[in-house]
Amino acid sequence: MSLREAGHRVEEGLMALILGVMTLLSFVQVVLRYVFNSGFIWQLEANSYLFSWLVMIGISYCVRVRAHIGVDAAVRLLPTKARRAVGIFVLFLALAYTLLMIYGSFDYLHKMYIINVEAEDIPVPTWILSLCLPLGFVLLLIRLLEMGWRIWTGQSEGYELADEAEEATRDVTHDHHPDATTVQR
Amino acid sequence: MKEAFLFVTLLTSLGLGLPIAMALGLSSILTILLFEHDSLASLALAFFQTMDQFTLLAIPFFILAANFLTTGGVAKRMINFAIAAVGHLQGGLAIASVLACMLFAAVSGSSPATVVAIGSIVIAGMVRAGYSQSFATGVIVNAGTLGILIPPSIVMVVYAAATETSVGRLFMAGVIPGLMLGTLLMVAIYVAARIKKLPRQPKVAWPERLRLFREAMWGLLLIVIVMGGIYGGVFTPTEAAAVAAVYAFFAAVVIYRDLHISDVPRVLLDSGRVSVMLMFIIGNAFLFGHVLTTSQIPQSIAEMVTSANMAPWHFLLIVNVILLVAGNFMDPSAIVLITAPILFPTAVKLGIDPIHLGIIYVVNMEIGLVTPPVGLNLFVASGITKMPLIDVVKAAMPWLMLLLGFLMVVTYIPEVSLWLPNMLFGPALK
Repeated sequence: MSLREAGHRVEEGLMALILGVMTLLSFVQVVLRYVFNSGFIWQLEANSYLFSWLVMIGISYCVRVRAHIGVDAAVRLLPTKARRAVGIFVLFLALAYTLLMIYGSFDYLHKMYIINVEAEDIPVPTWILSLCLPLGFVLLLIRLLEMGWRIWTGQSEGYELADEAEEATRDVTHDHHPDATTVQR
Repeated sequence: MKEAFLFVTLLTSLGLGLPIAMALGLSSILTILLFEHDSLASLALAFFQTMDQFTLLAIPFFILAANFLTTGGVAKRMINFAIAAVGHLQGGLAIASVLACMLFAAVSGSSPATVVAIGSIVIAGMVRAGYSQSFATGVIVNAGTLGILIPPSIVMVVYAAATETSVGRLFMAGVIPGLMLGTLLMVAIYVAARIKKLPRQPKVAWPERLRLFREAMWGLLLIVIVMGGIYGGVFTPTEAAAVAAVYAFFAAVVIYRDLHISDVPRVLLDSGRVSVMLMFIIGNAFLFGHVLTTSQIPQSIAEMVTSANMAPWHFLLIVNVILLVAGNFMDPSAIVLITAPILFPTAVKLGIDPIHLGIIYVVNMEIGLVTPPVGLNLFVASGITKMPLIDVVKAAMPWLMLLLGFLMVVTYIPEVSLWLPNMLFGPALK
């Protein structure tokens, strides 16, 4: 496994793990409250930070697997050359957005670092818990640069949006788990 | 000037093909940098705080619950039960397909997912039984839209977060319209079946029906948990979603054994991907909403409408037209996030109930899913049947008329949506 692939596995594993932990944490909280009349105070805060980490790590993952949706009805009507030019321009817009958000999130994190307060229920400084914010946008930058490289080398035409219909039917058309859809008995 | 800049940059970048999330974010950031004095740090914070919203946590959990049940054979069991229940009627297989879509919609919050889960099995079945493919496809494309009307519904959660209304009330408000639309489709099929002499299925004996019901029951129990839990005040919609996700895992892996434990990480990752994609749009849409509220747009629209003495029904007609047009080009959640902050204040001023407006939104979004060029249900149906898109559009058309008629009913008879939530929770506070 190359380093790149290993990175992808870590990315995917983290996302699955975080969502799983979030779900279990919320479930256990409900059970504790109604069955044992107790619970952890920190559950709510922990879940919202876990959710933030999931989303921030996931944004760049969604670029890699082409999951971000957009409106491509107009661009599809253009001839190939014009479409390529528009595609490159759109990538620059995406880069502009990302750089502005990177600047903003580092600025925010810096302020949090100076204030240096702990989160309400979790005994960790908020700036550490908020690290996912700049991290997520830096990862996004890397993925966009990668996409730019593919455009440069002619492997791609521009920003690659999701094909939602293809995605929704993927499970049916080329199912990797044939026994998952057949009913037993 | 500021408003014009905001909308021109948004629409241009959207039209060029920038992802919706980034288009919302970029146009808002540029507007703020040029016309306001907010720092970028405060924008980053506003984006970050979206993830703090407890309501929105329901989204990944509901998606996860539905994914556990979709990958399993739950859809197939629901179809078997539906066929046993109503298949003996004339046109029974098509009527049963609608019933199956309704049942599946009750565990899933997405329309395209409903089309895939039910359509991939029943369309081929109907064609084998002697239905024309366009009839079968048309029925499924439209019945599949029930996915977002019958709770749980992702679009409703997004609307609730954007307008600060109650998810529980919205879910309850979707029940009667969902049942009505399903029944309407079934009656229309029955009438068409009598005229076209469509086939019946053999009648199924009661013990067999009961057995098939018990088999489908574990999936159906999910709706009992979600709706009963919210109504009974046992848990909030977000907690209900988490419980539903754990229950769905249990049903798929332990009870039905459709899913192996080693499939679970893949289901988690798939659900995470869809949730993140939505949350990225939502986070940026909140930046957009932030810029809108500092502008005067929503207020000036509200003033214009009230000073023109516009009647509520007139305003709602305009809302319908705007949403129907937008629905032809964009994803339902994105439309809700962009238009709700603009239209909501006016609606409230005119005395329109926010919950009622939410259901009007959802029905409009349903229609958007079956109209070209960007009707996702059409693409999905074309994908699973291998029919050319234009044929799917034609097949969906007659049933689409039914949906449009139903939209009028929902728009002008608020009681259809409001009766159940008001009865269960008491009248809304004005």
